Amino acid sequence: MDLTLNPEQEMLVRSARAFLTRVCPLAHVRDMETDARGFDPTLWQEMARLGWSTMALPSDSGGGGLSFLDVALLSEEMGRVLLPSPFLATTVLALPLVLALGTDTQRQKWLPAMGTGELIATLALVEPGWRDEWGTVAVEVDGGRLSGTKHFVPIAPQADLMLVAVRTQGLGPSLVAVERGAPGVECTRLATLDGSPLYAVRFAETPVEAVGLPGAAEAALARVRQHAAVASLAYIVGAAEHALEMTLEYARTRVQFGRPIGSFQAVAHRCVDMRSDLDALRYLVYQAAWALGMGGDASLEVSAAKAYGNEALRRIFMHAHQVHGAIGFSTECDLQLFTRRAKTAELTWGSASMHRERVAQAMGL
Amino acid sequence: MDFAFTEDEERFREELRAFLAQELPAWWRGMFVDDARVFPETRRICEQLAARGWLTMAWPREWGGQGASVWQQAVLREEMWAHDEPRGPQYMNLNYIGPCIMRFGSEAQKRRFLPPMAAGHVLWTQGFSEPGAGSDLASLTTRAADRGDHFVVNGQKTWNSYADAPADWCFLLVRTDPSARRHEGLSVLLVDMRSPGITVRPVGSMAGPHELSEIFFDDVIVPRDCLLGTANRGWDVVTTGLTFERVGIARYARAGYVIEQLVAHVKAVGLVDDPSTRAQLADLRVRYEAARLLSYRAISLQARGEVPSVEASIARLHNTQLEQLVGHVGLEILGLTGQLTHDAREAPLEGLAWRQWVRNIPTTITAGTTEVQKNIIARRGLGLPRPD
Repeated sequence: MDLTLNPEQEMLVRSARAFLTRVCPLAHVRDMETDARGFDPTLWQEMARLGWSTMALPSDSGGGGLSFLDVALLSEEMGRVLLPSPFLATTVLALPLVLALGTDTQRQKWLPAMGTGELIATLALVEPGWRDEWGTVAVEVDGGRLSGTKHFVPIAPQADLMLVAVRTQGLGPSLVAVERGAPGVECTRLATLDGSPLYAVRFAETPVEAVGLPGAAEAALARVRQHAAVASLAYIVGAAEHALEMTLEYARTRVQFGRPIGSFQAVAHRCVDMRSDLDALRYLVYQAAWALGMGGDASLEVSAAKAYGNEALRRIFMHAHQVHGAIGFSTECDLQLFTRRAKTAELTWGSASMHRERVAQAMGL
Repeated sequence: MDFAFTEDEERFREELRAFLAQELPAWWRGMFVDDARVFPETRRICEQLAARGWLTMAWPREWGGQGASVWQQAVLREEMWAHDEPRGPQYMNLNYIGPCIMRFGSEAQKRRFLPPMAAGHVLWTQGFSEPGAGSDLASLTTRAADRGDHFVVNGQKTWNSYADAPADWCFLLVRTDPSARRHEGLSVLLVDMRSPGITVRPVGSMAGPHELSEIFFDDVIVPRDCLLGTANRGWDVVTTGLTFERVGIARYARAGYVIEQLVAHVKAVGLVDDPSTRAQLADLRVRYEAARLLSYRAISLQARGEVPSVEASIARLHNTQLEQLVGHVGLEILGLTGQLTHDAREAPLEGLAWRQWVRNIPTTITAGTTEVQKNIIARRGLGLPRPD
């Protein structure tokens, strides 16, 4: 047992923080909210050159051979600066699916290109009417052609490779690939509360290539949902840490009644509650990432982190706004950039009550 | 980072569980029950633990320990706390009184006080709070007049756990320089509880006997060689000791044990499909994970030789709230039968949920209230300004 970072992890965090602080000031985050693509592709190339896009791919497959805990640590640093990037779509969602289900040919075609940053990939999972990412896949492939609609697909128009979860008659979900430029694909950007580039994608007789056998994707998709839940929580832990720092700075410097408001216990204790909740969430996330990296059943650890996180994030950000007062509600203040992303994190990858039920099952209830 | 115990540590945990299954009598319900067998039993268990080398395993070898890792010590604490702390009051010796003597004591004091602790023979009580000095501990007025080769102590301490057990020694915080600033005139004395002039008056607590007492000091003579550390620097000793103490109690382990018992109960009585019960128990489990991990973070810092002050306070906030919530939820699950104490034969889980609730009412008060912990975190951890 050791809950401190090892020297390699400290190095990863330090170098990532230095790089990300340089390339992603909050002005960039604001720009990207109204950008047509929603992220900067040349920045993604730079990140790929640092080895980040395939960091957790085993080294014998040409990746960095790092653990999923390292992915979470890097995610946290990206969240600290609110970096918009294809990291979740490509590295956390698509890459492990190709690795788990793809043929040798597919792996050789796609994985090295993910490593260089030339290939951006995403996953089309959610369908209209789903309340969370665990809905029943209904879109079907018929004669090698895909028709139907997927929702909340990240960076769809920029994806060179779109993996699509589909149903195969009588079997569980399968995975197919749609490459950029395939006919019959129509992407419509969704207006989202955090401005992230999510799309409704309509397929009409789109030719697809199978990734894995029919009905074989269930286990890999289940695993990828857990990875995504933890990586996006890690991202938002970083974001919340930044929001806490802003809140503390405000509490130390904002003077009312002739003294800094942080000297009032009612204000100070809100800040302590933020610190205390965020620390708990951070170690729950690290534990979940570690357990996923060990390869065994991590459902208790993952769902404990998400169940805690969804509620803790509400408390943390409402405290942040309460301490900031009116200025925090203005769009000129940067706090709102963080608050909106925290709410999105709560609404994706499962609600607190869904994850509590999963914890109950893992407890033997 | 590594979130697993080693095979050696897991094996040690199994050995401890086997030991407790064999040694702990069926009537054991912890310290605060009206039963003359309680304190002799805690001494017997401590002597048995000492005989196996487990009582002070994390102490240095020269003081009767095995130089075991802080993680082995954590495993020991978890198993003890989960089982109603069969070491009795002696957990305090091991957690902080012994370590404070190692850190601040003279060689002669170490030779005098540590071996009896390592043998499991000696009960200590702690004399901090006074009727007029609770959260504002530094305002205490119990006076120790310096007479050269001895001190003369006059005053009153209160809320002293186990003083009536009876305790053999008292870890006593007194004012030695009334003219100095409040934090700078305090000293720690190690006081023989058989000294003339000491009167112990037990005070009843909601949880049962022995938890609370008052101690009156009337011209009590304490030899100078019982001064711990430098005169008038007692505040440093006490704050270090309280930091040890905050990590020293594995509250999450007790909560985890009670949660397990509640899960078994819910299955046995057919409540397992009740959605709100499932959600409440899962919520407890989530909070248990959080409290455990924050404790492990503080212990990880200890393992690196650091003194986790803010981290220990944060862990304590989570652990104390968890223990209270487990009691409330446990009683809610039992419903009407939750009213039955362990003296009722019909009490479900032998009164476990009732004990969990009642014993944890003061949990957010002892060793620094939640509010005092938050003030410490706000200033030391977050750099927020003091109220002036």
